[in-house]
Amino acid sequence: MLLAAMVVLFGGCDRRQAVVPSGKTIKIGVIAPLTGTNRAKGKEGLKGIRAAMRLEPYLQNGDAIELLTEDDRDEPLRSLQALRRLVRRERVAAVLTLSSSGPVLEIAAAADKYKTPILALVATHPDITRRSRFVSQLPFDDDFQGAVAALYVRDELLVDRVAVFVNPDSAYSRHLKSTFGKKFQSIGGRITDAVSLTGDADDYESILKRVRAERPELIYLPIRAEEVMRIIEKADKIGWRPEMMGSDGLLSTVLAKYAKKAHQLDGLRATDLYSPEVPLTPYGKKVAALYRGEPTSYAAMGIEGYALLMDAMNRCGDAGDRACINRQIRSTRNFTGVLGKISIGPDGKADRPLYINAIHGGNMKYIVKVY
Amino acid sequence: MDNGVDKAGAEPAVKYVSSALFVYTRETEPLVRPMLENSQRAVVRPVTIEELMENPRKRLSGMTHVVVAGGVDVIKEVLHLAMRYDFSVGIIPSENQRDLVRSFDLAENLEAAVAQSLRADAQAVDLIMCNEKLLLFRAVIGRVPLMDEPSSVSRMVLLASAVKKFLGLKLLRFDFTTGGGRKIKTAACGCMVLQPHVGTLASRLMARNSSFTDGMVSLLITAPLSVVSYLKFLGRVIFSPSGGSRRLPDTVGYIRSPRIEIKTERGLDVTIDGEQVTRTPLICQALPAAVRINLGPASREESRKDQPAAEKIDVANLPRGRELDRARKKSAVPFFSYASEERFRDLFIALREDARVDQTYLVLMLLSTLLATVGLYLNSASVIIGAMLLAPLMAPTLSLAMGLLRSDLDLTKNSVVKITGGVVIALGAAAFVALLFPYRSITPEMQARLNPTLLDLAVAICAGIAGAYTKSFKEILQSLAGVAIAVALVPPLAVAGIGIGQWDFAFFSQAFLLFCTNLVGIILAAALTFRMLGYSAAVRGKLGIGVVAVFMVLISIPLYLSFQRIVEKRTIEGSCEKERFLVNGKYLIIQKVRLGHHGDKDVLVLDILARDMLTRADLTKLKEKIQNNFTRKMVIHAKITYIP
Repeated sequence: MLLAAMVVLFGGCDRRQAVVPSGKTIKIGVIAPLTGTNRAKGKEGLKGIRAAMRLEPYLQNGDAIELLTEDDRDEPLRSLQALRRLVRRERVAAVLTLSSSGPVLEIAAAADKYKTPILALVATHPDITRRSRFVSQLPFDDDFQGAVAALYVRDELLVDRVAVFVNPDSAYSRHLKSTFGKKFQSIGGRITDAVSLTGDADDYESILKRVRAERPELIYLPIRAEEVMRIIEKADKIGWRPEMMGSDGLLSTVLAKYAKKAHQLDGLRATDLYSPEVPLTPYGKKVAALYRGEPTSYAAMGIEGYALLMDAMNRCGDAGDRACINRQIRSTRNFTGVLGKISIGPDGKADRPLYINAIHGGNMKYIVKVY
Repeated sequence: MDNGVDKAGAEPAVKYVSSALFVYTRETEPLVRPMLENSQRAVVRPVTIEELMENPRKRLSGMTHVVVAGGVDVIKEVLHLAMRYDFSVGIIPSENQRDLVRSFDLAENLEAAVAQSLRADAQAVDLIMCNEKLLLFRAVIGRVPLMDEPSSVSRMVLLASAVKKFLGLKLLRFDFTTGGGRKIKTAACGCMVLQPHVGTLASRLMARNSSFTDGMVSLLITAPLSVVSYLKFLGRVIFSPSGGSRRLPDTVGYIRSPRIEIKTERGLDVTIDGEQVTRTPLICQALPAAVRINLGPASREESRKDQPAAEKIDVANLPRGRELDRARKKSAVPFFSYASEERFRDLFIALREDARVDQTYLVLMLLSTLLATVGLYLNSASVIIGAMLLAPLMAPTLSLAMGLLRSDLDLTKNSVVKITGGVVIALGAAAFVALLFPYRSITPEMQARLNPTLLDLAVAICAGIAGAYTKSFKEILQSLAGVAIAVALVPPLAVAGIGIGQWDFAFFSQAFLLFCTNLVGIILAAALTFRMLGYSAAVRGKLGIGVVAVFMVLISIPLYLSFQRIVEKRTIEGSCEKERFLVNGKYLIIQKVRLGHHGDKDVLVLDILARDMLTRADLTKLKEKIQNNFTRKMVIHAKITYIP
């Protein structure tokens, strides 16, 4: 009976003390593509942010959080305008952005002027943090991603010959292609072909036939999901099935958009920020319970971004002190996210593991985790 | 009316009576005509039972043979008259009188029944009178579930009836006194006096023990010591071939005597041939050759051969001694048996002997542990198995199990002393060997005894069951089970002794925990097996069970903690093998992970595959990354294989 009483007593207690609202509101801006081609990324990310906010609507000092969202359609200029509105008009304490590397590179160039901490939740280009002292990255950067991809392909898949496809108009795709290629060749691998995809008119079939002639064992695809799907379909058509590997976000997107063609996606690998098979942390489980549906990579980044920002704000005496928030973001150590621990260094770069997943039987399967 | 037999052994010529009185009732009146028109040319005078009983002397005047057709009560009336007026009796059974047909081997076809009833070769048969009431088939006192069911009922019906009738069975005090003056005090659920060949399950049990003309009363007594034993007995009766068994089942007693007196603690109803007509005390008396009845051919043949039988008393299976205490308390029959020492004398004598310390035991303990320890150092499974063959641990362990089960303090104390002595010798011997080889490393055979798991407990439980089972049956070679028990006990003891010799408390404690877990598991399993085999005390002892339960709780705490550590170890090792590290641009593949302990430190041993040479700075960075994933401080050892 004593034991039961103790369980009831301690089980009912939450670890955190109940927060008493202070009456003050702190505004946080969110820039995301809520319309346009990449709207899925923005919407899922925002859904993740809101789920995390349901769990933690107040700071520890009782200040309430208000989210202000801006749609940038994943376009650099719109992204910059959104930042301007949020900082000047709304006077937000910090900004979370779910835009791609291109728009974030654009706002990074102007971020120092606004002296407002910006946390990029999905952009992985390494220059994002180099261009500004006020922009930090929550995901790993593409130097890390490209190098890991090359090393995995060479040392674990034991592949000697790789062909690479690239979107020349995407800074993200160009950088990954370059990082991967350099690393792969430095460890004795050979890039048999580097194919630039220039648009819808591309004749994938003839491209693939040409690439196949060089006998690559794997195709590296840091390109859009639609292009990956076309390549897979055309490769099937010409009876060619090489190993394929993509980059972060690819598998979630293809599974969401092309679920009916899942049988064609079997074996497709990619580096990623997230893996559905890895156990959630206690925090991850709490938020997952509040998230309606199956969280994607973008939702997980939204959740972690909000939580990390709140953690940084709580460490500041004044939650409106932007410089303090920025410092605290860039001194985050072993923050417990959805799947594991994250640290952000003084350079604004995140130290977090990368996952390599593959599609099997229409589901994403976890292969390895790289620290 | 002679019964001349053809010298060549062929069917004797059948003679029929010249005249007979036919007694009938209103229900059997349709038989009058066939009787009058019988083809045996006998002159039949029909009369109703009422007319006969009104003036039997007048009705029976000049009659030497009476044929009767009617209910059992009518037949009994006629048989009473036959004893008084000395006439032979023929019986015509009705369609539903199965007992009658089977008992006297009567013809069922009407024409044949009429012919049989008019034969002139009636056989003298015994009658049984119980409290002056005539018993034709059976008398039942108390409850004898299924024994009184006809054997023609299907097995499924019998089994269903068994489930219903077993509930609430109780043992009641019975005192029997035979005609020879022997008194038997026992306890039973019930008893049944019965005539042979009545076609019940009970009659199958005594088929070889009784007949119509032995001048004896046969009494079956049912005294199940437990529901389990009763079900076993009924299974045997239901499925055994017809004709019964030579040996009485464990739950049944049998008395055969010219006279049996039955007394009970309180008066019980007595049902004779389906009617409750009297109460205990009951005196049943056999009246030898009381009447002459026309029997069927098989019964006729049998009765010719029979000789008067001797009194027989077979009550070894019935409760006696302390078992009667249970009956006195009038509680329901338990599910498992409770047995007295008198019943299993040999077994208990052997167990008491096994609990005594002697020189042989001490020497064998020493030798087996020395051999096991050497085998552990050699990492040789065959040497360790050889040591197990020598180990004498089974005997005191089983004695302890029985002692705790029966709350026998002496047996328990002696067994504990013997086991403790053996353990001390084993630990000392192993420690001595360890001191002789101080620089020997831990072998996989030793490692296997350092992390007790539930599988080890499963081994101990199986060994305990095997030990108790083989001890209970002399025909099984006990050394087989002894090895099984030694498997669970000797190697962990030897490893624990090595831990003492190496002054490594963690080493000692892990192995000793395994030993204790196995010992408690064996004792519990053996005690439970003894219980199921029926060796529990007649009066239940709670102390023994309580002691074992306390030990189980105490042992389960460290076992649970150990299990948790094993689960954590497996989880860490499993997840680490899917992890990679990018350290200063160098890609490290984790091939294998082992989590061990050295003292109070956790040691993570990694087998790493790398392409580039790792510097001290790389390894430091690697260690930092690994440590970030653990809350506890880890000592990290890395074995690196390079890809050229």
